[in-house]
Amino acid sequence: MLLEHVLLSVHVLGSIVFVGGSAVATSLFPRYAPAAGGEGRSRDVAVALHRITGGYAAFGLIVPLVGMVMAGVQGRMGEIWIIVSMALTAAAALLLATQIYPRQRQALADPGDGDPARLRRLSMLAGFYNLTWAIVVVLMIARPGSGAGA
Amino acid sequence: MRLLRIAAAAELSTLLVLLANLLTVHAKAITTLCGPLHGVSYVAVIAATSLASSTAPNGALWRAFIPGIGGLLAQRALGVRRG
Repeated sequence: MLLEHVLLSVHVLGSIVFVGGSAVATSLFPRYAPAAGGEGRSRDVAVALHRITGGYAAFGLIVPLVGMVMAGVQGRMGEIWIIVSMALTAAAALLLATQIYPRQRQALADPGDGDPARLRRLSMLAGFYNLTWAIVVVLMIARPGSGAGA
Repeated sequence: MRLLRIAAAAELSTLLVLLANLLTVHAKAITTLCGPLHGVSYVAVIAATSLASSTAPNGALWRAFIPGIGGLLAQRALGVRRG
């Protein structure tokens, strides 16, 4: 019982701090990334947000790992809400690793001549990323298909 | 890049355990444990490679998508570029 409480605490704390941090950083990056004619834009802030996006997401790996250990301990691995959550988590991780992070790097390396379409696309991708986590949280709370009746 | 090294090792070893289990005892406990672990390590390898290849894109990221040995190939591609 104590073990499960510790695992759940690490799982929730990790999702708030690490996943939440990277989600906020992805959302704010397009606002501060260098672009032509932008007021209040700062390359230093954008670089920091870029590092938070990647670094916090890497530490965020602890969240699905602990979640899977918990599901295994409780014998819930086959329940549909866990499987869908794992698929969504994988999708979010791939979206961040293959789209958002490289595009941020590109925007920093080559600010371009005021190409707002690129930053708008980053905003859109950040929205998808955050939406995925919102769905996962709803799944974690509603637990559809849970054998224990939530 | 320690994350990539760990994830690559986990990716290959969990796949080997899964295949060995498939060929021999078919223990359900091993499948439910190693299956998701393999999935996470596969995604982690891709993410770690994306974080590691900090300059111009090279072949490392696409190698990371190869199942099982993608992590090792990506490490090699990144190492070659450095050295």
